[in-house]
Amino acid sequence: MSSIWLCAIALLCASPQESLDFDTQIIPVLTKSGCNAGACHGAAAGRGGLRFSLLGANPDSDYEAIVQALEGRRVNLAKPETSLLYRKPTGQLEHGGDIVFEDDEAGAELLLTWLRAGAPRGPSRKLTELKITPERQLCHVPGKPIQLRAAARFDDQPAQDVTDWTVFTPIDPTAIQIDDNHVARVLRRGQHRIVARFLNQVIPIQISVPFSDQSLELTHEPRANFIDDEVLQVLGELQLPVSPPATDTAWLRRISLDLTGRLPEPSLVDSFQADESVDKRSRTVDSLLASDAFNDYWTLRFAKLLRMHSLPNEPESFTAYAAWLRNGISEGTGFDKLARELLTATGDTHLVGAANFGRMVGDPRAHAELVGSVFMGVQLGCANCHNHPLDKWTQDDFHGLAAVFAKLERGRNVQISARGSVTNLRTGEPAKPRIPATRDLSDEGDHREAVFEWLVSSEKNYFARATVNRLWRAMFGRGLVEPTDDLRDTNLATHPELLERLAEDFVNHGFDVRHTLRLIALSHTYARSEAIAGNELDDRFYSHVIRRPLEPEVLVDAISDVTGVAESFPGQNSVRAVNMIDPAAPAPVLERLGRCQRANGCPENMEAEDGGLPAQLYLLNGDIINRKLTDPAGRLRQLIDHQTDNESIVDEFFVRGLGRHPTTEELNGWLDRLKTENAEERRKRLEDFVWSLLNSRHFRENR
Amino acid sequence: MSRFYGNPKKNGDRRAPRCDGVSRRDLLRFGSLTALGLGLTDRFRLQSLADEPRRIRAKSCILLWLDGGPSHLEMFDLKPEAPAEVRGPFQPIETNVPGIRISELLPETAKVTDRLAIIRSMTSPLGEHGLANQYLLTGYQPSPVIEYPSYGSVLSHLRGGKPVLPPYVAIPEARSAGAGFLGSRNEPFVTGGDPSRADFRVRDLDFFPEVDETRLARRHEYLAAFDHVQANFEAQALASDSEFDRAYRLVTSPEAKGAFDLSQEPADVRARYGSRMFGQSCLLARRLVERGVPFVSVHNSGWDTHENLVLQLKLGYSGAKNGVGLIPTFDLGFSALVRDLADRGLLDETLVVAMGEFGRTPKLNTRGGRDHWPRVFSVVLAGGGVRGGQVIGSSDRVGESPRDNPVTPNDLARTIYSLLGVDADVELRTADGRPVPVNQGGKVIRELIG
Repeated sequence: MSSIWLCAIALLCASPQESLDFDTQIIPVLTKSGCNAGACHGAAAGRGGLRFSLLGANPDSDYEAIVQALEGRRVNLAKPETSLLYRKPTGQLEHGGDIVFEDDEAGAELLLTWLRAGAPRGPSRKLTELKITPERQLCHVPGKPIQLRAAARFDDQPAQDVTDWTVFTPIDPTAIQIDDNHVARVLRRGQHRIVARFLNQVIPIQISVPFSDQSLELTHEPRANFIDDEVLQVLGELQLPVSPPATDTAWLRRISLDLTGRLPEPSLVDSFQADESVDKRSRTVDSLLASDAFNDYWTLRFAKLLRMHSLPNEPESFTAYAAWLRNGISEGTGFDKLARELLTATGDTHLVGAANFGRMVGDPRAHAELVGSVFMGVQLGCANCHNHPLDKWTQDDFHGLAAVFAKLERGRNVQISARGSVTNLRTGEPAKPRIPATRDLSDEGDHREAVFEWLVSSEKNYFARATVNRLWRAMFGRGLVEPTDDLRDTNLATHPELLERLAEDFVNHGFDVRHTLRLIALSHTYARSEAIAGNELDDRFYSHVIRRPLEPEVLVDAISDVTGVAESFPGQNSVRAVNMIDPAAPAPVLERLGRCQRANGCPENMEAEDGGLPAQLYLLNGDIINRKLTDPAGRLRQLIDHQTDNESIVDEFFVRGLGRHPTTEELNGWLDRLKTENAEERRKRLEDFVWSLLNSRHFRENR
Repeated sequence: MSRFYGNPKKNGDRRAPRCDGVSRRDLLRFGSLTALGLGLTDRFRLQSLADEPRRIRAKSCILLWLDGGPSHLEMFDLKPEAPAEVRGPFQPIETNVPGIRISELLPETAKVTDRLAIIRSMTSPLGEHGLANQYLLTGYQPSPVIEYPSYGSVLSHLRGGKPVLPPYVAIPEARSAGAGFLGSRNEPFVTGGDPSRADFRVRDLDFFPEVDETRLARRHEYLAAFDHVQANFEAQALASDSEFDRAYRLVTSPEAKGAFDLSQEPADVRARYGSRMFGQSCLLARRLVERGVPFVSVHNSGWDTHENLVLQLKLGYSGAKNGVGLIPTFDLGFSALVRDLADRGLLDETLVVAMGEFGRTPKLNTRGGRDHWPRVFSVVLAGGGVRGGQVIGSSDRVGESPRDNPVTPNDLARTIYSLLGVDADVELRTADGRPVPVNQGGKVIRELIG
């Protein structure tokens, strides 16, 4: 009844020469004013009884909500200016969201014009192209005004200026200010981002201001491979001076920790320093990559990524899964092959380790999320309740991928059954299996292989990019994209070309993890020393090494190695914490240091897992260090008992803990501090010396 | 649809806030302050000052968490007129406020009822422990994508500073009350142990054997020798409050460590709280808020009483002469806490909240117990600006549904934050940049505030 009335009015009022389009002209007004934001009517439950789709993703339901819901009470087409839709946001009626159009008369005007025209749906034009200028700009000084513009083409018609209806949001509002005329000003030096949004398109803008006014000559810097080319290119643009190469000992400690999770043995420290051949770093990297310690440590790293944990009363399945992973890593199996097995394996999970992948999560949606996170480095879960606000993933994509895994039986025997579906939360219907952002699949059959094929062959190279980005992070403490599970067009890499080249190189070398790690390890970029004056503000362009705290497992093993007192883990054969692959197996030391429980995923920033204050108190007053200092069989007591002098003891612990000998100045400082005639007092001072070393930032960091 | 049309202004001369919690005027002001270099914390502080309609009394909050779902029908909302299968085994008694009657198992609480506000119309849709815990402890219904922070973590995050004592202490455990997306820095400091035991100690607060204060001071000095061999520009990084600094401050401050030492309390004070773990935990909580800790939670488990109410709630063990069950134990600890805080002049600045995740079914089950019932239950508050001696809302004849003035955990959350002077519209950020207000959509329970 009301819709007939509505149509009649619309016919009467619509001005023939100018027809407003709801989808492409009114929705941008709502988005720009924040009406359909997650904190307002765009919330899943709406607000104050009115619900919009998040950021206008669904014009059909938004039009319905405005024009048809509540018998059309929100619009009054006979007296358009009395419509609730107009009176509330303009402050004529109380509105929970305040006066929205206070500074935006144009928005209010457009809304009123549209209402006067009879609130038509319009031709429902489609946005076919959005062009933002500039997309990338280098300014020489902060504060210079930069005019931002947006031009849109609808249904491939000539472009129109839509700058006024585009939302420009600086990622860091303390770095970039944007005024009402869409003029951006950079407030401080560095590389900054703005996200431009118009309708369903989001485009990142990058604006950089060099860190100094002094131009920089980096062309003569040594380069080992394309990593150095790309990193130096950006450093040059930003005029960031590079730190000199790290000393041999600093480099050796760093590479040992990164590749094996262990400190270098004193004998290696000395032989490496004495070695004068040009390929000594390359030979060291090769030998570390070939070591068992590498296999142990990288099994743990990948286990964390895969959220591996044992299931109640089924130790066999975990054992099989962990053995499968370790075998794959020691054999050097390409990561594509491992991924394929994880995605497609079926069978008895007590025998087929990889079939446990989908059992680490409880249901198809979580399975799809895990696939997105592990193999694509994207957060598909956002598209559970609404289209991803900053990416192209739609609810259909997410539920469609989940539908691929819906037929999987997740008991001991993993297999594809005839039944099983997930509901698409957008439609309320069973979701159609789908390759995200690509194509629908048939309702029947097993499509897991197709998902794998798409992952490793897609134009976007998600699989390779996500993997190399994580390998980069493992070696530098920071991903080229951060966080590493949020790769999307609007979350630009600090070095987009480098990420592409690494991914391409990874594909060309058979998805070989060791190959990429080696490439990184031998770059000059990896070998930089600590920050110097002029680059100390850089935290992401690799002008100097980034310090990282050791993760709990590595720290526990390092303490055992330096003190010469092994840890013990209840019911486990190994005495090394990196071998505690199952987070559910008891390991009190790790729990007190804040080990991640993994079932819900670990923080991407693996090193930042920390147990907070209790962990610190444990290191300070607990037995993890103190007991090992006084253990009669421990290194310190043994050295004292064998009448070793202070100089040798200081030297021994420096080499073991810090990977280098003390300087003369350091040595003399410690000899002074330790000097006493009283044997009991000497022992205590030596214990305090080792304790301080083990608590020092230098020891607890990889730098 | 009345909510849609009439939404009276809260405050005549101030505009209602935008959905994002910042009025346009605030935004402008904030913009100019940012240019002057004020950080985020300042923004929160300024906002909370600007949004403050009244004097804030509560500086601290003690949450007595009755884990498992305490029975409203056996504690604060008895139905003596209801049929026997609803009424249950206990009778109501008069309190020191005419007209307010509570359970006969709460005789001490009855003497301080003039200081309590009893909400009898709490209501929630969540009847599963895990989900309901999350809702009651955060004010947010659980979401698969966001792990919301609990009260103590939000306070810890917003207060900042360099306190000697941790800003959020959980006695003796925290269970589901974590920091969520606010991260490990805002996780509760969990005491562990049993405060009622003579040998109760918080782990790792005491020096390791043979490591006395002199040696710890020397270790600190030695540590500086290692860490200070660093370039100057790093001094800045060192000046930031590291976890090590927080730990060192705590263990080297006898006063701070003493806060956890219950043996410093006179025997008669300890006795008043009752000798059991709950009572002594309440006493420890008082010692902590007295020393400025903003949020302390006391975890009390066992309230999931699916069977034998008399044994579990009253007796404690079969054949007990004087009941030492859940309710008498709660009665002693809770009433002593309220009295003690009042005697010390601390009640006005300390908000005490006693609650669990839901109530119990109106009908007794065949095992003489009651099952989960979130549709209506009771929460009790005292101090911190709460007007005492009142009952807010009511349940129906059989304690099945709210009869009037329904209060959701979301409303309760906004009220608690408001009492504690936190602007509930302030936006927190998840790790992936999602803005999440401290509270979304809750209504302050006006009657509660005196």
